Amino acid sequence: MSATSIEAGSNSVVRNSLVKLTKGAGLIVGIYLILYALYVYQQPRALSASAIAALINNTAPLALAAMGQTLVVVSRGFDLSVAGVISLCNVVLAVYPIGGPGGALVSMLICVAIGASVGAVNGWLVAVLRMQSIAATLATMIICQGIALVILKAPGGAVSNWIADELTDRLWKTIPVSGLVVAAVVGIWLLLRRTDFGLSLYAIGADEQAAKLSGVNTTRVRFTTFVLAGAVYGLAGLMLSAQTATGNPTSGTPLLLLSFAAVALGGTSLAGGGGGLFASVMGAATLMLLQKVLFSSGVSSFYTGMFQGMTLILAVVFSGLLTRLGERK
Amino acid sequence: MAQDVGQDTNLAQSGDTRTSARVSRETISAATVAILCVVLLLGARFVSPALGSWSQVETVLVLGFFLVILSFGQGLVILSGGLDLSLPATITLGGILATSWVGAENPAAWYYLPVVLGVCGLVGMVSGIGVVWLRVPPFIMTMAMSIIVASALLGYTKGTPRGAAPDAAVAMMKSHILGLPVPVVVLIGLVLLGWVFQSRTIFGRYIYAVGTNIEAARIAGVPVAAMQILPYVLSAICAGFVGIALVGYSNGATLRMGDGYLLPSIASVVIGGSSILGGSGTFLGTVGGAILLTTLGTIISALGLEFGLRTVIEGSIVLIALLLLREELFQKLRSVWR
Repeated sequence: MSATSIEAGSNSVVRNSLVKLTKGAGLIVGIYLILYALYVYQQPRALSASAIAALINNTAPLALAAMGQTLVVVSRGFDLSVAGVISLCNVVLAVYPIGGPGGALVSMLICVAIGASVGAVNGWLVAVLRMQSIAATLATMIICQGIALVILKAPGGAVSNWIADELTDRLWKTIPVSGLVVAAVVGIWLLLRRTDFGLSLYAIGADEQAAKLSGVNTTRVRFTTFVLAGAVYGLAGLMLSAQTATGNPTSGTPLLLLSFAAVALGGTSLAGGGGGLFASVMGAATLMLLQKVLFSSGVSSFYTGMFQGMTLILAVVFSGLLTRLGERK
Repeated sequence: MAQDVGQDTNLAQSGDTRTSARVSRETISAATVAILCVVLLLGARFVSPALGSWSQVETVLVLGFFLVILSFGQGLVILSGGLDLSLPATITLGGILATSWVGAENPAAWYYLPVVLGVCGLVGMVSGIGVVWLRVPPFIMTMAMSIIVASALLGYTKGTPRGAAPDAAVAMMKSHILGLPVPVVVLIGLVLLGWVFQSRTIFGRYIYAVGTNIEAARIAGVPVAAMQILPYVLSAICAGFVGIALVGYSNGATLRMGDGYLLPSIASVVIGGSSILGGSGTFLGTVGGAILLTTLGTIISALGLEFGLRTVIEGSIVLIALLLLREELFQKLRSVWR
């Protein structure tokens, strides 16, 4: 599967990725709407503005984590450090809360800085020292989780009120702030995708050798990818903290598998070179909605993991089938 | 390459050049790791006078028991070109079934334990089938299996594991034969068995062939699908066995008992000189890597640091070890050696 998709990708990287993007996003948007209809059928109140805002608030951390993950996956890598960065940001915000809007800005910058630094370490290990991305990011994830445990031994602490209140609120009683944050990152990505960096990212993921031969500085692009992804994980940590309002040294762990599931659900090929961030956002939204639907159907929360795991496998199998069907034409 | 792995009979002896290369690499990695272990154990005396004694060597071997067995399974999966991230969940599966099922029903019924291993093997088989036939990347498949198994266990135990350790598990971990702890004896036996399997049987050869070049192996008539699934099954059985052993060692199971073993299991394999991309590496190297990591672990825990700090140090050491003890180093060492 991967071998053929590389060849197809190197021929017309941009067109191929655009086709995949629209196809993937279209599919996942459709699935989301069907699931949402089911949810509304079960819970008619789900159409109220506050319920929609709550759903978006729930989705934002995973959506951001999945966007960062997508960047790395597109460049044909895996980033497990997402769990560590989110836990780390969460405990920092809970143990050292800074009040007021100014404090929130500083907190955000701290989170982005933490994420970007971890990303820089990942990038250095993977791009410069040529380590396998899974091994390198598994190690940085565990180190970050260790640091999070040093900062906060057991769940506790309190995130500053401004972050917890305002970032989960609605602007003019309609637009959820968390949705705006996600939209902002998607917007930045749409701009970035058209730059040299964006094109190189897809080129590296499709065929690193070919990209290198056509003059792409693969080391720098790969490094930048991990740093950007880390910065986005930092934002995910911020949004998660706003959501939970408290600290937990293992708060990022559940997002690890889910971030990959969201990427795969969005139709981004795990073999790199294709896919997009918006599709991953919709993948994340579908996963969070699935949790709500399962809960309102009366399935014990013990078994949520089973459904998530099976959804992930199905999503990967299905997107693999679609890719192969698409290439046969 | 296709010809090299082509004939089954040749695989057993494997061309002259390759055998000599492997032996030399085996010697180098074993020697490097053994020297490091001795230096560490002696150096540990500076940390605390209680360390560096024979009893600490015994402790390292008993604790290393778990990691060595896990790394055998992980090593086979990596050798075949995959990766098993479901080890923590499968360890917990073995442990929980051993206590909440066997221990709660009839702790003396040792004959239930193979059934537990069978259930674990089944989990591995599902992972393998997903990787081979559904073409899910190994890393996603095993991670998904991991969360599925963990969630099933959470539901099965309702959040709190009950029951006691089966008698057989306690007997295996807590008794002595001829002055040696039984786990050490079992460990030596299993290491020999693992070494014979990986280096001296046709299955081992097949797995090397699949990991080196899957297309070549297919053309050469290796049962490729079976040889890709087999490592996952064996890895899951090893993890289940470690789960049972852990239960015997600590007299109980928790839902997170396997969590700390994932990174060390991968690290032992890579530190032992295997390529993380598959196709090369020896089990003896992996054993050395596991013992080295365990030695480090006992020294770090003797420092009396808090859990978080210990995690940071262990993670960093594994990272540095992964960086320093990579394949290239062994290649360089080999060229100097000759």
